[in-house]
Amino acid sequence: MYTWIPLNSSTDLPQLEKHISPEYGPAHVAKTLADPDGISSAVKAVLIESNYNDKDYRSTYYQFYAKKGQGYRADCVRLHFFDGAVTFDEKTLRLSCADSRDNRVTDHYFGYLVLRPTGSTTIGRTVLTPDIRRGACRLIIAAYHKVHLLGLTLKVQGFPSMDQHCDIAVCAHAACWSILRHYSERHNVYREFLTYDITRMAHEFNPGGLVPSKGLLMAHAERVFQEAGMFPVVVTRGRSGPGDLSFYRQLIAYVESGFPLFAAIPRIRHAVAVVGYEWRPAVNTGISGIRHAWDEIKSLAVVDDNYLPYLSIDRPVGSGLLYGAEDIEGFIVALPEKIFYSADAVYKVAPTLFKLGLVVGLPPEDESIIRYFITTGSALRRFVRDRETEFDPNLLTEIMTLPFAQFVWIVEFATEALWALGKIEGRAVIDATASLTEDMPLWLLHSRTKALVFDRQQVGTDTGMKGFELCDMGHTGFSRMEQNLRPTQTK
Amino acid sequence: MDKKENEGPEVIQGLTPADRKAIEDFKREMNEKVIPEILEAVEERCILAAESRQWHLKS
Repeated sequence: MYTWIPLNSSTDLPQLEKHISPEYGPAHVAKTLADPDGISSAVKAVLIESNYNDKDYRSTYYQFYAKKGQGYRADCVRLHFFDGAVTFDEKTLRLSCADSRDNRVTDHYFGYLVLRPTGSTTIGRTVLTPDIRRGACRLIIAAYHKVHLLGLTLKVQGFPSMDQHCDIAVCAHAACWSILRHYSERHNVYREFLTYDITRMAHEFNPGGLVPSKGLLMAHAERVFQEAGMFPVVVTRGRSGPGDLSFYRQLIAYVESGFPLFAAIPRIRHAVAVVGYEWRPAVNTGISGIRHAWDEIKSLAVVDDNYLPYLSIDRPVGSGLLYGAEDIEGFIVALPEKIFYSADAVYKVAPTLFKLGLVVGLPPEDESIIRYFITTGSALRRFVRDRETEFDPNLLTEIMTLPFAQFVWIVEFATEALWALGKIEGRAVIDATASLTEDMPLWLLHSRTKALVFDRQQVGTDTGMKGFELCDMGHTGFSRMEQNLRPTQTK
Repeated sequence: MDKKENEGPEVIQGLTPADRKAIEDFKREMNEKVIPEILEAVEERCILAAESRQWHLKS
């Protein structure tokens, strides 16, 4: 059964209560959506899809709710969100797009939200575009999620989220689930895990009874990612607390790499997924001294099971249940196998590259902002190919032919003035498979005037090293490489 | 560029003696300072991680 609810404003959202049974919590859901931090007024219609079989809820129903004395329904309700261009014909059950020549409903689709019949904490599997989330950060880790609806295949780009169940899954389970579902949708090498799979994977034994409701240890979350075939790294803040800048600089390096983080906030015994960030407005500080990308961060985007996705948190430590980025004391990053050179190492090596600054023409160290992140060799080549007019032909050839391992660390060097323009002065490419004890873990270091190339074909020699001048390509700086996260287009 | 300037134990194309000295300085900095710091930092993080694995997360 399908019900179409046109929305003139958020005050129309309470209509959900008229069409949805109370066990799905429609009043709370309507209030959450209509909240000033809820969904934007660009959402002009909600389609209610009843009798929806949700695989994630079903996994918990079979293993938990069906065993309870109180009767729980097996089916869910799914809410779909559209802009004003989409219409619905109740007779033919056809979704149409009024002002689009090719009738692409998917271009006007904002995502979905599943409601579980559990009475409380009813928001289940949700994928919403950050574009309609009020206050969402500008850059979000996202993947395309396919949605089958009324004979159409729709797509939405976002990050998965859900409320915790409380009894069979708590915040840490929900954060693990979000991250794993993102990976399974984004990279076909990873399989899909359902909500109950996460509960089971956290323990070496079958976690029946009350066990899941007692929460998880950080070690359990690490185990979930190991069980999922990933290579999790636990990174914990040092004893200097929020003053441990190397911790936060690593945190943002992994987020910039497109790896969502399982983040622990021990002060409130909470776990969230960090999925994006926003730069602070570029300002001319005139401050002398090297700055790292973390120093330019205004806020982080988190998926927190107590809120709609993409909650924006500012940097300072919060109070009570409100928290800030500096309340994060540890995180787990689930890496692919072939990343051996850690962010700890890049954090130390990146400023040392200024020792080669005079060779390649980097800006002075104490006037620079550096940013580092992981990408693939093929993504680097794609980025360069898309902007080939920025690159000297010889440099382009080197980038296309260097035998990169699958993953590389990129270090970008910018002056304050270039940073404000989204440009950089130079770039280093570090081998992400390098050993921590290598004194030259580089593939490439270049500015606008000169390049140093290391082909790394043979261990223990510099025979592959070469330097060459670059011709002036007529620009003031290279484009900053921002490929791993999706820019939010606020609607 | 004078070819002889580039001759050495290992031939490095396109680099002046000053460039090569900067590269040697970089390697020395890496070996004497940066790599030991990296190894120490990695070990310290391992100890901190071992402690954090017992954090209880529930709310």
